[in-house]
Amino acid sequence: MGGVGDNEPASKRMKLSSEELRHLSNGSTLKEPIVGSSRNLMAQPLQSEGGEEVVGSKGIIKKVEFVRIIAKALYSLGYIKSGAHLEEESGIALHSSLVNVFMKQILEGDWDGSVVTLNNIGLTDEMTLKSACFLILEQKFFEFLDEEKVMDALKTLRTEISPLCINDSRVRELSLFIVSPSRCFSIRSPKQDTSRARSRTKLLEKLQKLLPPTDIVPERRLEHLVEQALVLQRDACMFHNSLYKEMSLYADHQCARDQIPSYALQILQAHTDEIWSLQFSHNGKYLASSSNDCSTIIWEVDANGVSLKHKLSGHQKPISSVSWSPNDHQLLTCGVEEVVRRWDVSSGECLHVYKKAGLGMVSCGWSPDGKWIFSGVNDKSISMWELDGKELECWKGQRTLKISDLEITSDGKQIISICRETEILLLDREAKVERFIEEDETITSFSLSRDNRFLLVNLLNQEIHLWSIEGDPKLVSKYRGHKRTRFIIRSCFGGLEEAYIASGSEDSLVYIWHRGTGELIEALPGHSGAVNCVSWNPANPHMLASASDDRTIRIWGLNNLSAKQKDTHGNGIHRCNGST
Amino acid sequence: MEVDPRLYEQISVNDNDIHNIVMSYLVHNCFKETVESFIACTGMKQPSDHLEDMEKRKRIYQFALEGNALKAIELTEELAANLLEKNKDLHFDLLSLHFVELVCSRKCTEALEFAQMKLTPFGKEQKYVEKLEDFMALLAYEEPEKSPMFHLLSLEYRQHVADSLNRAILAHANHPTYTAMERLIQQTTVVRQCLNQEHGKDGPPPFSLKDFLRS
Repeated sequence: MGGVGDNEPASKRMKLSSEELRHLSNGSTLKEPIVGSSRNLMAQPLQSEGGEEVVGSKGIIKKVEFVRIIAKALYSLGYIKSGAHLEEESGIALHSSLVNVFMKQILEGDWDGSVVTLNNIGLTDEMTLKSACFLILEQKFFEFLDEEKVMDALKTLRTEISPLCINDSRVRELSLFIVSPSRCFSIRSPKQDTSRARSRTKLLEKLQKLLPPTDIVPERRLEHLVEQALVLQRDACMFHNSLYKEMSLYADHQCARDQIPSYALQILQAHTDEIWSLQFSHNGKYLASSSNDCSTIIWEVDANGVSLKHKLSGHQKPISSVSWSPNDHQLLTCGVEEVVRRWDVSSGECLHVYKKAGLGMVSCGWSPDGKWIFSGVNDKSISMWELDGKELECWKGQRTLKISDLEITSDGKQIISICRETEILLLDREAKVERFIEEDETITSFSLSRDNRFLLVNLLNQEIHLWSIEGDPKLVSKYRGHKRTRFIIRSCFGGLEEAYIASGSEDSLVYIWHRGTGELIEALPGHSGAVNCVSWNPANPHMLASASDDRTIRIWGLNNLSAKQKDTHGNGIHRCNGST
Repeated sequence: MEVDPRLYEQISVNDNDIHNIVMSYLVHNCFKETVESFIACTGMKQPSDHLEDMEKRKRIYQFALEGNALKAIELTEELAANLLEKNKDLHFDLLSLHFVELVCSRKCTEALEFAQMKLTPFGKEQKYVEKLEDFMALLAYEEPEKSPMFHLLSLEYRQHVADSLNRAILAHANHPTYTAMERLIQQTTVVRQCLNQEHGKDGPPPFSLKDFLRS
């Protein structure tokens, strides 16, 4: 009984005073630490400031609570005998005897008895007591209706439930059930022994949630605490970029750096001038790059790497932006203050050219249903077209700047564009409501997260700001470290659950930050000119692409892959140029 | 902009019109004996079969006001055949009066049975469900007078239902459902309100019958 074991070798047996022996035999918890050699094998009970026993190195876990939730967990796992043993051995009861009686009464349907017991348990909050009684009597009411004892149900309602004087609206609903019991049958299953047992168990669960946890320990409390710890560990892990990394309880979760793409696997050389825009398709199978050389290249991504698929020529001006159709079958490209072209991805053909007389386009995008496109025009308006070229709508006024990004959320509701040097406009198309993000510095570019809830904004002063755009726009984080003085540099979200931010930089490095903590994780060297844009493969958190003034695109990945290729190619970097 | 009382002098009002106004009021409210003496005094033409119907209508109104809805329904069926069929809202309200009577006399079982037979069929249409809930809720309380729905037991409610019944019967017989007098007062009030809103402080004040009668 919580003390000296009878089968321990005689040398280890403690000499106890008769007083202590008496305490041990009636199972009360030992309060004073007993000093002795065998005792060192067991956890030394400490004292907290409140005089209760505590466990754990920080002295904040109360022993009674700890044992009770373990007992509860044992019972939930089905280890009834173990749970009972624990209660016996520790001398700590999971529930007081009154509570045990109460729970038994609920499951057996002894409603009147359970109400009496409830009153005896001694709840301090009258409202809780009444709410609990209400739930119990409601069950009594429904069980009468199940048995078609309508008058009994009515009596319960009138003489027991209404006098509680709480929840009048529920009383109304219950009175309607009396006249039309069929209504409540449609919600509850017809009377059967199994469903009655189930609904009583459900009632018990509701009561457990209602009553204070000191009286009834909540279900699955231990599991909840452990999950909380695991989630905290995962969120704190800055290199968590792979799905298969399961969490173990044996050690704190911490990924190594090796899950972040930081090795240049391929260098793609096909453009003949600076590359300004880079974008993976939604399914991650293609990559589009567009350049000052007035061409756009579609690259194909497969198990062997990235290879050139099509080179799209036709624009007379450098291309400022590209946009993939929602199903990735088509691509839009926009020449700087020129036209917008729509291309078929598999054939490489130009399907349509969108232009406006006397004006030039500055940006382009697709509607989420793929049925229309929109584009910023250099007269500061935004135009919307059907695929065949019919113009649908035009928003005038200060909507865009000369060269600026344009995005539409995946529900088609919001159009986002830079409307002033320091302002981004969030236009709700249907509600015609405008919201603004206001910055202190000039905004150069932005990027929308996949879940439409966040916007990454690049500023002139070399900071990247993360804004939450649900409801009122709020600044969430800032990322610093990269260099940007003269050109437009783009950044993007990426990695598992978009937990990372990547950006180009004028110092030729590719910067990667952990989104949640704002910590700079990597600054990848390799390019020999300013890195203008980056794109993280949405389907592969281990693939990142960057494009630069040095006319090349670098594909970054994990070390394991490059280790394989080190055997076949000398320096482990696979170069791919335009020739097929 | 107070209206100059002298302007009134310039409008002449026909005696016959006045008689008709008074008569419509008396007929609407079933003041049978008053109608008869008024006709005798003024020498007006007797309205056709008004008197007999008026008597019946008066009895129906009285029964409804007392809460004896079943009797009121019976007589209504006699007087105006399918009136209640065409006025389901009214039918429900009348039946609910009987239900309320049963609840007030603490005849719970009877009330429950009555509700199940007569009231719940209305519940098939969504618009009656809330009303049904209101009435059923009375059953849940041992002292319905203290329940949140106590207003359903009041004289005002019965009066409201009785008035609706009265108007429905008049309408059924193609008679006006509102008395001319009522309408005239309403008209004046509304016109005054409009003028008041348009002209603000310069316009005439809102119509007050009490003040008018005193002046």
